[in-house]
Amino acid sequence: MDAVNESRLLIKTKPAKPTRLQREAWVGLLFLSPWLIGFLLLKALPILAALVLSLTNFHMLTPEATKFIGVENYLHFFRDAEAGANLLGSLTYFLLTVPLEMIVALILAAIFTSERLKNKRLSQTLIFMTSIIPATSIFFIFLGSLQYADQLIFEPLNLSPIQGFGLLLPFMTLWSIGPGFLIIYSAMESVSPEIYEAARVDGAGPFARFIFITLPMISPAIFFTLVINLTGAFGGAVLLDRGYILNFSLSPMESYINNVMFQQTDLGYASALAWITFAVMISLTIFLFWSAKRWVYFPEGDETHEI
Amino acid sequence: MRFSRKISRGRDVSRLTLRLWDFTGTAMLNLFMFLFLIAYLSPLPFMVIASLTPHDQFLDPNAPILPSKHVTFNYDGKARIVYQVPTDQGIKHWALYKPSRQSSQLIDPEHPETGPILWQGQWRTLKADYEFAPTLDNFKDFFAVAQIAVYLKNTIIVALISEIGVLFSSIAVAYGFSRFRIPGIKYIFFLLIATIMIPSNITLVPTYYLYSGHMLNWIGTWLPLIVPHFFGSAVLIFLLRQNFKSIPRDLDEAAMLDGAGPLRILVSVILPQSIPVVTTVALLHFFYIWNETRLSSLYLGISPHLQMISFAVQRNQTYFFTPEALMVGALVVMVVPVIVLLLSQRFFMQDMIVTQIEK
Repeated sequence: MDAVNESRLLIKTKPAKPTRLQREAWVGLLFLSPWLIGFLLLKALPILAALVLSLTNFHMLTPEATKFIGVENYLHFFRDAEAGANLLGSLTYFLLTVPLEMIVALILAAIFTSERLKNKRLSQTLIFMTSIIPATSIFFIFLGSLQYADQLIFEPLNLSPIQGFGLLLPFMTLWSIGPGFLIIYSAMESVSPEIYEAARVDGAGPFARFIFITLPMISPAIFFTLVINLTGAFGGAVLLDRGYILNFSLSPMESYINNVMFQQTDLGYASALAWITFAVMISLTIFLFWSAKRWVYFPEGDETHEI
Repeated sequence: MRFSRKISRGRDVSRLTLRLWDFTGTAMLNLFMFLFLIAYLSPLPFMVIASLTPHDQFLDPNAPILPSKHVTFNYDGKARIVYQVPTDQGIKHWALYKPSRQSSQLIDPEHPETGPILWQGQWRTLKADYEFAPTLDNFKDFFAVAQIAVYLKNTIIVALISEIGVLFSSIAVAYGFSRFRIPGIKYIFFLLIATIMIPSNITLVPTYYLYSGHMLNWIGTWLPLIVPHFFGSAVLIFLLRQNFKSIPRDLDEAAMLDGAGPLRILVSVILPQSIPVVTTVALLHFFYIWNETRLSSLYLGISPHLQMISFAVQRNQTYFFTPEALMVGALVVMVVPVIVLLLSQRFFMQDMIVTQIEK
């Protein structure tokens, strides 16, 4: 009996021979190596180079006149009212569009979980379809349909074309709802029915069940969608990349940086601006992760406390 | 006796109201979804309409919305446009024969033998008659200018090669993240997540320098668009890793006892259970390449014969900035991704696991 217990203890404290563990780690690193090499060559080094570049007055047209100017570019940002306005514009864009997207995605996903809804697969595909339309097409569609919108909607409502275009912008936002919607919907579908049943027995109505069960249970999915949307609003990678329109991006800061980079060819300042954007974004993300402890539900016993 | 009957009747009534309630609820829900979809997709029909509309129609503010052409009447060897002419006997549909500023000569198509009628008034204020007539001329013009076959071939070559690279490396890396005990792997994973958030602007200039004549001399080739994918893509690695992690380890342990190595376990245990997520990831990458315009503009701007579809069409369209030409371009660029999505809807983004939710 004792011997059995002892051997169990041994197994627990030493799950494997150290050599095997080491071997496992090396094999794992071998699998990770493509990304690690790519990270060093294509991410880490360029980012550091951008940091160095942001401390110089490097102009594309006069590379020989490049000088080290310290934090001058960063100081210039605080004098550059346009840059500040654009950064604020990106933040406003994030604050306006993301809640709209999230709320519509949540409502749609809640409707989709109802068994009464017919033709779910088709509706789902149609809702998703607009998210894969290339940016090139989206741009042309909205420019081209202004003609019709003017004739059919703006004129009867007595709106000027500019006001009308403001109406179309939420539309463009909702047209990229697809990935968020599907992620939230998948999360809702995977909530165990027993919890709902227990709440129903306790007398909770559909609305109370949604607020007190669905929302907390799917909070990790909401968190993930929030982070991805934040990344998108500042020009990072997104799940579904529509591509990028020349001199036209919905994120004002990104457009401004592109302008400084390609029109003014002031690469030092552009790098400084990109670094400032990155810093703002990372602080927002860290804030989100910090707040996640308060509102995101992580199942117990999960060794991975990440999203 | 009476009492029980009352109860049973009451039950019948409540069952009926319940059923009615149920029916109205279902109807309302489906009606709501239907109306939502109509509003949501409303710009798309206009795109089709505009692409079939002749250019002149956009210049006439009184023209109908559907693609149409002028109603004409052949007289004196030429097609004359029919206008709605207000006269003493109401509105007449007369063809314009000899226009002039203050008064014009018109022809009644029903009685051409009576000859031209003199009408007092400015003919430019008249509304023209239209008849429904969609045209394919816009598409003909578009395909005459844009070398769609070349762009399509380029896009498919780049998509295929980079797809192979991104799938191999992303699957391997995700497997490494999900199954191996590596000291500090948590921090490496955080690094991966952090790279997702790096704005592409920040790395643009240094990477451009890397690819330029100063170092690799890859500008004007497809290499800057293909090679980086062979190092894996952070978003795709993340998606794959979350799904690999949700596969129970019992099976790989059984395979390991049978003497299977890590690669063998990946190929014969993990991958067969991950077909939906691998399909999703492959499609996400395909859409990325299809929609890509930024790197194309940077690296392929100088070599038109290498350009890919989104960027090439976007550039062509800037020369033909009319509603109908824009819509034709939009249709041509979006039709392939939409068809791919419709064909793959059984797998694409179904049951995506981005978070660990207990079932």
